[in-house]
Parts: sequence; structure tokens; C-alpha cells
Amino acid sequence: MSKGVLYDGNRCIGCRSCQVACKSWNRNPAEDTTNKGGYDNPPRLSATTFTTVRFREVDHNGKFHWAFAKTQCMHCLHPACEGACPVGALKRDKDTGAVVYDDGRCFGCRYCMVACPFGIPTFEWDDPLPWIRKCTFCSGRLDGGLEPACVTACPTGALQLGEREDLITEARARISASPDKYVDHVYGEKEAGGTSWLYILPVPFEEMGFPALGEEAPTENPHIAMRTLPYYAGGVVVLMAGFYWLTKRKQKLSHTGDKHGKKEGVAK
Amino acid sequence: MTNHWIDIRNADCILIIGSNAAENHPISFKWVTAAMERPDNPAKLIHVDPRFSRTSSKADIFVRMRSGTDIAFMGGMINYLLKDMRLHPGNYNIEYVQQYTNVAYIVNSGIKLPGEDPAPGFFSGWADNKYAPATWKYADMASATAEAKLLTPNWEGWTNRGADDEAAWAELHDRCVLKLLWKQYRRYDEEKVSRITGVPVDNLREVYAEYAKTGARGKAGTIMYAMGATQHTYGTQNIRAYSIVQLLLANMGLAGGGINALRGTSNVQGSTDMGLLSHILPGYIKVPNDGDTDATLAGYLGRITPAPTLPPSELAADNPVNWWQHTPKYVASMLKAWWPGADPVVSYGYLPKGKASGVNYTHLGLIEAMGNGKIDGLWVWGQNPASGGPNSNGAREALGKLKWLVVSDVWMNETAEFWKRPGVDRGDIDTEVFVLPAAASFEKQGSVSNSGRWVQWRYRAVLPPGEAAPDLDIMSRLMKKIQELYEEEGGAYPDPILKLDWPYGDEVDPDLVAREINGYALETITVGARTYQAGELIDWFGDLQSNGKTSSGNWLFCNQYTTASAKDKADYPELITVVQKNAGTAAIESINKARKRNNMDTSLNEVGLYPNWSWCWPRNRRIIYNRASVDLNGAPWDADHPVLRWTGTGWDPAGDVIDGGGDPINVAADTKKNLPFIMNSEGVGKLWGYGLKDGPIPEAYEAWESPISNVMSPQQTDPAAFIGSFMNARGDAAQYPYVGTTYRCTEHWQTGIMTRNLPWLSEIVPEMYVELGEDLAGELRIRAGDRVRVSSARGSIECVAAVTRRFQGIRVDGQTIHHIGVLWHWGYSGRVRGDSGNILTPGIGDANTTIPEYKTFLCNVEKLTGKEAADV
Repeated sequence: MSKGVLYDGNRCIGCRSCQVACKSWNRNPAEDTTNKGGYDNPPRLSATTFTTVRFREVDHNGKFHWAFAKTQCMHCLHPACEGACPVGALKRDKDTGAVVYDDGRCFGCRYCMVACPFGIPTFEWDDPLPWIRKCTFCSGRLDGGLEPACVTACPTGALQLGEREDLITEARARISASPDKYVDHVYGEKEAGGTSWLYILPVPFEEMGFPALGEEAPTENPHIAMRTLPYYAGGVVVLMAGFYWLTKRKQKLSHTGDKHGKKEGVAK
Repeated sequence: MTNHWIDIRNADCILIIGSNAAENHPISFKWVTAAMERPDNPAKLIHVDPRFSRTSSKADIFVRMRSGTDIAFMGGMINYLLKDMRLHPGNYNIEYVQQYTNVAYIVNSGIKLPGEDPAPGFFSGWADNKYAPATWKYADMASATAEAKLLTPNWEGWTNRGADDEAAWAELHDRCVLKLLWKQYRRYDEEKVSRITGVPVDNLREVYAEYAKTGARGKAGTIMYAMGATQHTYGTQNIRAYSIVQLLLANMGLAGGGINALRGTSNVQGSTDMGLLSHILPGYIKVPNDGDTDATLAGYLGRITPAPTLPPSELAADNPVNWWQHTPKYVASMLKAWWPGADPVVSYGYLPKGKASGVNYTHLGLIEAMGNGKIDGLWVWGQNPASGGPNSNGAREALGKLKWLVVSDVWMNETAEFWKRPGVDRGDIDTEVFVLPAAASFEKQGSVSNSGRWVQWRYRAVLPPGEAAPDLDIMSRLMKKIQELYEEEGGAYPDPILKLDWPYGDEVDPDLVAREINGYALETITVGARTYQAGELIDWFGDLQSNGKTSSGNWLFCNQYTTASAKDKADYPELITVVQKNAGTAAIESINKARKRNNMDTSLNEVGLYPNWSWCWPRNRRIIYNRASVDLNGAPWDADHPVLRWTGTGWDPAGDVIDGGGDPINVAADTKKNLPFIMNSEGVGKLWGYGLKDGPIPEAYEAWESPISNVMSPQQTDPAAFIGSFMNARGDAAQYPYVGTTYRCTEHWQTGIMTRNLPWLSEIVPEMYVELGEDLAGELRIRAGDRVRVSSARGSIECVAAVTRRFQGIRVDGQTIHHIGVLWHWGYSGRVRGDSGNILTPGIGDANTTIPEYKTFLCNVEKLTGKEAADV
């Protein structure tokens, strides 16, 4: 038995208390974002953003939905990242199910980023001595008998911590109680060999950006996880050069004043 | 709220209209979700709104209604109910409607409805630009008369009931309330309602039928509303329409029922209770004016204390209770709380008086007066009128007419910085501005009243930074300084200032204030079986006196802080405080019940009253008008969710605190058969009323700025609405073709001062945006993320476009009307900045409350290109 969290898309009201609670507990700084004309923000997970809520407008079963889905590390039962890590910096905690990392061991190869079927781990691109960063399942809170910060903050019970097996039973019960309100699938029960975080949603999972994955765990066949490596290895040089350029440009821009400062200048 | 947050879980159907509860009251959805997931009998959720929001995403039925057409929508529902109740009375709780509402009461012979000639669109009594409500009253105000046919069991006396409409209704007295409702709302047929609201007829029918199910005995439906309902020129009438539906469906007073106003800011309930609004003193006592009647305390009390209207003889009950008959006790006790050394007859003269000529002292009235140079100085506490009110350009200009301005706030805000806002030359502004840093909620102690009327004590978590101080301390230092200056220099009228009891220091103990609000016995007195020592806290407002021997700063809160009972001492030893009012008076163990935190639900069937979690007004009554939850014998209409229950010998002590006291109507002695709606002078729920400024029942009008002509009558707008004149231009649909509506998002708060300064919230919603439908955006070639200009006759703003399918054009009366959603969280102060949606909104107010019409106005939207877009 290990812990899990069940996310229920019918209970979630998209309030993003989880996002703020996550930032608060992890003392992660805010990112400098802009409004791109939608609700998702920050636009993707990063070294300082371990969870976000996705908002999608979806037609399903003849009904218009505004559907939400919280994104974070799925905490796989057989983590591909763990299998891919050459130095054992990423490890699954057998008691809690949390996949945690050890900064002291990580040497920055970023194999985990490539291996993860959900594209979760991120890298401190701006830092000269960067670490891998991702949701920790609030492992320290779990050890202390607390729920993860996001679960505690959720006002509607859309996030529920429990024993993984119990949550699967609970998820099935909710689906069968309201079959017209849910897609008949518990995402994470089988995907990639099973994950600690489980999802039930009112709309198809692919509409919400969940990858369609087989039941086989990547670590059972490390070649699945690593078969993209040759492409990656070649691409990373180009990519890093690009990021270097972008980062420098961003730093330069931030010194030349932002749009707000410019506007305010009228009254100064 | 007549009910409370937790109680939402008891509802069988939840109608959210004029509210986006999921986004603006996220915690409420804990209880909405609980109701919808009830295993045996899940509640249905209906959301009515121009925009598909996070609330709609959870709804079983979403109704896309044109902004500002609530009265047509609800009028159609009333029409549906009247027809269905006539044909199928067995599906409704007819006994409740006939015994607990004025359904059968006969109205004055002079009544004329807006559907009748002459002057279509107007009720009787319109003259000199206002209504005289005499013809709206009952035919006999002392002792009401009734249409007896409507008071027979299950309307069996209405023999023609099964006949066609005309024949059946012809049988009833022409001026009984039910007949008047029918005459008014038969005009709101489904086709016409659809033409006005843009809601397809089958969608209307589906919602009406679903909500009508809550009319059955044993069922309850709740209406959750907020500023989407109130912020219209006819906002009060919107709520009246909801009330009529809730009374017809026997949903008032029941668990899972009620009219539930989701208040817009933390503790706005508490500030309203304490007399924040310009027309009321603490405890909802009307303010005196400078007219002849109010020249004396007796004259004033005579004017504001209502006379009872006895029920018709056919009703089972005979006592309207008329709780406001106690007004003289509450006024005298309030005056003694403030000026204990003076006779209330004298200290009444110390109260400031409004102008009997009808000067408007609301937010809009104040801004007008400021703009017109009538006000020298303004003190702003925790408010931000430069962005928080309508027509911000006008409000900001008006601030510049002041000689001085004091802003007391947690952050620098747009009001404090109005003189350096973009586009003005600070050299042109002479206003002297002072800023006083205030403590935030967690930096001070005191009580906060939530929408459910719970008064919850909060403790200080951290000290305020720097020189910041709690409002109470700032106010106390100010008051003491004013008293000192009056002492030294005298003044035009020093008595009200110098004789004011102000036992507070530079740092005020809020617990002392709570005691003053509750009130004391000022000398040894005996009330019934209870003898109070001098200086003892009063148990409840029933013991307050009109003879000056008791004090109470707010009668509604009299019961919050009392002498501790033996049970209090046993159960809450840590909350017992020894209260000694003055040296020389007795020291008495007392309890501030707002500090209670007992989360055991001891209520009947665990219906969620949690009576020992904090305290609520009045008298810890968790559901007001709860006597309506039981039948004439005291048995709950809904046995599964009982609020009260008569055991045969008394009320079950696990039940709620009953409204008005006394035994069930069929058990009580003559003259003591209490009606449930005790705050109404007739004791019954008002399907028909006579207290508002714009009609006895709601009639549909268009917003002040509307793209269409009123379908219901030639009268376009609510005739009694408040029309501002200071810099308040009116737009027309030719120039401003789209309907704008303002709202808040989850991530920001009010003018954004408390949230735009928080990095974690600013990163989620960093910039001002406007939401518009894909269809309109396609026409205007606007894509998500484009920079746009939104303009109204008052001004224009520039922001990001959020293009969505959640807004869609609405077909109304043969044309397509597009809505645009604008937020008002931004301004020129704070960490992230942008334009405020309130630059667009009109300085127009509701006929009764002057709440501004933020929710419906005309605007235009254009895509910014090239240099303009880059400059935003």
C-alpha cells in the first residue's frame, strides 16, 4: 500500500488555491508572466512552478464544458526518472509513494526530463548551478502526518489524499454513481504502470492534455524511456544555445524597463 | 443570508442567479458540492448568467441570460408557478402559502398595475418624479381582509380552479394579492420572456419546471445571489422577484431554502449591521432627518416604529408579532450606549440628521457632491473610490475638488495616489493628501461577521509593521484629539462630542467595544423573572428598556456577550472573562460567545446549525424566519431536515432558536398565535409589498444603457432610479453596440490593492483583460492575446483580449447582442498595473439603494494595432 491523491474534475472549481499553496509551502518565487488571452498561468511547469491548473473549453456528449485539470508530477509506481537517473538522485519512497530527488547526487544530466512520460521534471535554466525541480508530493509534510499543501488548500475536496487502492475504489464509486458526469476511466490506475496521482474527469483525458500511455512501466523496459536519447543528445546543444540567448535577452530586457514602468512614466 | 453557508448542503435545488459563487465565494462550493453529491437525493444546480463561468461549469443546467433581464426571467417563473399551482395544488405546499404569506390579502382599491392604462409601465401613485405608495397598501391596514376562497384547504373553495385561465381567475377578488400577481405576470409569457432575455423557450421551461419541484412539501430550494443581481437600477426589485418565488414555493425559513445574499467582501455583513450605510443606524434603525416629525425623539420614534396589521380572521394565526414595535427600546438603549449621562430625549438631539428634502448620501451621492465642490474633506477607510466606484474618471476628478483627503489603508492605493495618476498634471491639484498605514486583518483582534450572520472572533496573529495601526486605534486617537480640541477651543455644538462616552485609550481593546455593543444594565433592574445588577451585560434584546436604564450599541448583537451560565463555565472555562463595567459595579463572569469554536453539530438530525460555533445574530438564530419551517402544529414540513420540532409539550431544545418565541399556532392561546415573518408588520411573507420606491412588485425595465427598447411597456428605465450628473455621459447603441458587464475573478480582490501587491496572485492573473466571445472576436478580427481598446461614453481602457466560447451572442428581439466582460481589479498603483473596468461604468444607481449599475452598460471594443498595441 502507498499513498495517492485523487483529483476529481467534477469537484474542481479551478480556483487555483492549490497553485498558490504550492508556491507558499515550497517558497517558490512568482514568475514574471503575461496574459496570453487565456486562463493558464504560468504557462508551463518550471523550476519555480511545480503545479498549474489547465483550463480547456471542450464539447463532450452534446454539452459545452469548461474543464479543469491540475498538473504536477504523477509520482509513478515505477518512475521512469528513477530508472533513467545514472546516479540514483531520484527515488521513489516506498512508504508514501512520493518520488523525491536528492540535490546532493544530481549532476545535471537531465536524463529524467527525457525519460518522464508526462514531461514533468524541469531545470533551473537561469541558475549557474542548476538543479532538477518538480513536485515532491510534499514528502516532508507526509512524513509529519500532514496532507500535501495543495490538498489542504482545496476548498471543495477535489483533491483527496488516501491509500492508493482506496482511492481507486472511491473513484470507481463516484463514476458509477454519476455515469453521465464522468468519463469511465481512472487515469493513473494503469498508465505507465500506475501512478500515485489519479484522475477522474468529466471530459476525455486527451482533451485535457493527458498523454495516452500503455500499461507498461517504462522502468520495466528502460529502452522505452531512453530510446529518444540519441535525438535528445544532438538536440540539447542547439537547445541550450537557444536558451542561453533567450535568458540573456530577457535579462537585458528587464534592465531596459518594462511596460508598466513605461506607462507610469507619464505621471513621474 | 437568511440561512448560512453550511445549510446550502441541505438544498434539493440550488439556483445561482446574479452570482458567480465558484469564483467569488469558492468555499461555498464545498457545500454546493456536498448537496450535489448527496448519495440518495442529489441536488440539481442551475446557473443563470450572461457568461459561462467556473460556476456554470459545475451546473446541471446553464441558462445564458441577457444581462439585466432578471425580472423578466423571474416574472416568467412566477407566471409558470401561478398556472401550475392553480392546476396542481397538490404539488405545492399551499398551506404554507396561505397561512404564512399575504397571498389572500386584499389591496387598496386605488391600485393600478403597469400593464393597465393609463400610464402603462407605471404603478399607481406616480407624481412629481416619485411614487406615493398609499394605493399599494392593504385595503385595511389595521386588520387585513382576505379572499376567503384562497384560505380554504388546498384551495378547494376556488371551485372554478380547473377551468380555463380567464374563467378561473375571474372567480377571485380582483385585488387579492394572488390575482394581482396573476394580472401582472401573465404578461410575462414564455415567448415574451424569451424575446427579452434571449433564453430559448425550452430552456426556460426546463428551468422553471426543475425549480418548481422545490415547492413540494419536504423539498427546499435555495437562491444564491450576489452583485450580479443587485447592481442594476432595479436591483432591489430583482431580489423581490426571488423572494416572491421563494414564498410561493414555501422555501423561506426551511433548511436548504432561503434567500441567500453572498456578501461581496469580508465583514461587509458586519459593517452593514453596524450602520455603515447612510440610511441606517446600527441594527438597521432608520436615520433621523431634519424634518418637523423628527424634531423630537417621540416624533421620530412615531415615524419609524411600524403599527401592526392584524391578519384576516380566516387565518389560523392571530398575532403578527411586528418585532419592530420594540424600536423605541433599541433607540433609547443605543443613545445610552453613546451618551450614558444624558436622557435619551436630550441625546437624540445629538444625532446628526439627514436632509428631509432627500439629499442622497450614498457613495454616488457623495461623489456627485464632491464633484460639485460641496465637500471639503474626505476620510477614506479601507476603500478605494478612485477605482472602486463607477465612472472612475469622474470619481478621480471629484477627489481633486477636495481641500484634504485622508486615506487609511494597508497599501498605497489609487485614491491616495490620485494626484499623480497618468494623464494629469499634479500642479493642477490642490488637495492635501494624508496616508495612514492600517493594520491588516491578521494584525489586529476583533469580530468578523460572515454572510451567514455568524460573528466570529479573530485573534491577532502578528504585530502590524512599522507605524501601521488597527482602524479602531486610529479612530480612538482621532476621537480623543477632537474631544481635546473641543475642550480647549469650544465649538458650534460641543455637547455631542464632549458628552460622548469614550472609555478607550490609544490602543483599544476590541473586547470592550463588543461589550458596549451588547449593552449593559445601567442600574439594578428587573425584567420579568430576571434581575440585573448595575453594570451587568444584558442577556438579549428582549430585555432592553426604553426608559434609559439599559444601553446597547446595536440591539441585534445584544446576546453576543452575556453573563456566563453554569453550562458556559463548565463547557468553555477558557472563554470566561470577568467583566466589571466601572469601579464600584459588580465583577461578573461573562462570555463573549463569538469566541466559541465548538464544532459539534448538536442540531436536529445534524442539519448543520452548529449552534456553538461562534455566535450569530439575532440571538444565535441560525436560520431566520424558522417558524415557517414547521406547520401549524409545530411539525417540520421537511422531516428529514428539521429546523424546529414541537415535541407535544415544548420545542425540542436541539432545534434552532425560534423566531418570536411562543408555541405552535394551533397550540398557542388566542392573541398569542404568532405568525412567522416577525420583522414584517403583518407577520406574513410579502408576496406583495408597499415599502419600496419603485413598485409593490417587480416590473421589467431596461438598463439605463441598453441596446433594445423595453418590450414590456413604453417606459424604458426604472422611473425612480438615481441618475448621476457629474461627468456621467450616456451612450447609445449606435456608437457603443455591445453590452458590458463587470465582475471579479477568483485570483484578485476588489480594486486589486490586496492582491496585485501579492506576487503569487499577480503571476496567475498578471494583466487586465476583457473577455469576449469567439463570434464577436471573429467579426472584429481579434485573437486571444491581442491588445484592445474598450470604450464607453465615460472613458476608455486598453487591455488584453481573452477570446472564449463562454461568451456568445444572444438572440434578443430579432437581433444578436454581444456581451463583453470587464474586470475592475486594476489601477495605477501597486505591483502590477493596468486600467480599471470602472472607467467604463455609469454613475447610475438603484432606485432604492443607489447601488451602481455596474452589470449592464453599453460599450465598444476595437483591436489596437501597431504602435498603439505596443504602448499598452
